[in-house]
Amino acid sequence: MRARHPILAPAAALVASLAAVPAAPRPVEDPETARLRVEVERLRHERDLASGKGFYLRLDASRRRLALVLEGVALDEYPAEDLEWGVPEVLFLDRRPAADWDAGAFSRGRLDPERERDRVEVLAPAPAPSGTAPTDQASPSPPPVPKSAEELYSVPASYRVVFAGGVSLEVRAKGHGGRNRSLFRRLADAAGLRFSDLGTAVGFGARERVRLRVTLEAEDAASLYRSLPPDVGLIVVGLPPR
Amino acid sequence: MSAYAEAESSPGAGPASPAGVPGGLPDRLRGALNRRSVLATLSAAALALLALAGTGWDFRRVPPPAADVSVSPPPKAPSREAARLLAERQRLEASLRHRTPRGPWIVIDQTHNRLRLMKGDDVVLEAPCSAGSGMVLKEGSRGRVWVFDTPRGRFEVLSKLANPVWRKPDWAFVEEGEAIPKDPGDRLEYGSLGEYALYFGNGYMIHGTLYERLLGRPVSHGCIRLGKEPLREVYRQAPVGTPVYIY
Repeated sequence: MRARHPILAPAAALVASLAAVPAAPRPVEDPETARLRVEVERLRHERDLASGKGFYLRLDASRRRLALVLEGVALDEYPAEDLEWGVPEVLFLDRRPAADWDAGAFSRGRLDPERERDRVEVLAPAPAPSGTAPTDQASPSPPPVPKSAEELYSVPASYRVVFAGGVSLEVRAKGHGGRNRSLFRRLADAAGLRFSDLGTAVGFGARERVRLRVTLEAEDAASLYRSLPPDVGLIVVGLPPR
Repeated sequence: MSAYAEAESSPGAGPASPAGVPGGLPDRLRGALNRRSVLATLSAAALALLALAGTGWDFRRVPPPAADVSVSPPPKAPSREAARLLAERQRLEASLRHRTPRGPWIVIDQTHNRLRLMKGDDVVLEAPCSAGSGMVLKEGSRGRVWVFDTPRGRFEVLSKLANPVWRKPDWAFVEEGEAIPKDPGDRLEYGSLGEYALYFGNGYMIHGTLYERLLGRPVSHGCIRLGKEPLREVYRQAPVGTPVYIY
């Protein structure tokens, strides 16, 4: 029989003794300190967002205000008439996110339904010989006057800004000012939204963990939809726990 | 007509159909099956409805901000960690607060073609403007393409000019169907930029316009056009270095 390695036995004994020692109890943090820690974490994320070059939305739940921010400067503010936050529920069981889910910042927000922009393309007339004025044939008609934002974009009564990391912001319009879609289109939107809700709740497609729902004045909701920059970020402040 | 044929031809005549006829089912069995299948269908539908009702999104309303400020209990002495976190919170909040310029700054909403001149948190002036049309110009002969967008982001007023002269770029000639001049002096155009121009980089300016009736619409080639009076005010109040935010 081969002799055991001389170091093996003491090592085994050490491992056994370490396993026997109960883990040191983690000090319980008082709720105030825990809250402060989350706030500081959130502020650090906001500072990072403000130091970047990207636009972000800042939802202040305690003041019910949504702001479009660039480098820490609020460029536009939208007062929220109502604010809710939801979690997906499957067979009456909700899927709660981690308690400090809102301590972080979210990025790569995109509109759903997407905002489409039809660009007018103009083919330049052939240049006239140097020193001569262009003839009528060379410039047949002046280019069309581009449409205003109100004419250009059809705004749904409800839309979402979907962020990476499973968080989305649903914007609902209060009143009818921004609803320039047909009744059929609105019904189709509503049905589509319901099916999409079911799908996202059970986990089809991109997994959504939290949805924030803000109701804005119709004009504000439409304005935000038309002017939201691409790849927008999000920071949420002052949201009470569920 | 046979009894079978008679039974087949009279719908709902269950009791009259003869039992044990080849191809048919006994009445009692058929009735039981029918009742069972109806019951099963109804149960399945009820369960599906219940599942649908319990699947989706569960929303909770966030209470509106309280009107009155309740008196909070006196704070107990914070622990060392809490004191450190409090100090860091104050520092971070202060650094975020100080990001809003204290002097004048300009915000341009290029979607709605509005310009605001701000001072701190106050709006000094708001006026319609014209941002880039988003139009695409294609040159047939050389295949060059220009997109007339206004850039988004933060800029600064780099220089200010009274009675600016426009040095027309290539696209201005291509658009008009004119030959691009060889003499740089032939590119200069007087008066079309209005009384003043505030240059904020990459060839973009805030300037006046000959077409004030189009203010409020996106008709420019990327610059920001402003009416005569607001332009005078912006020129007067915004020094070189004024931040310009465009979204």
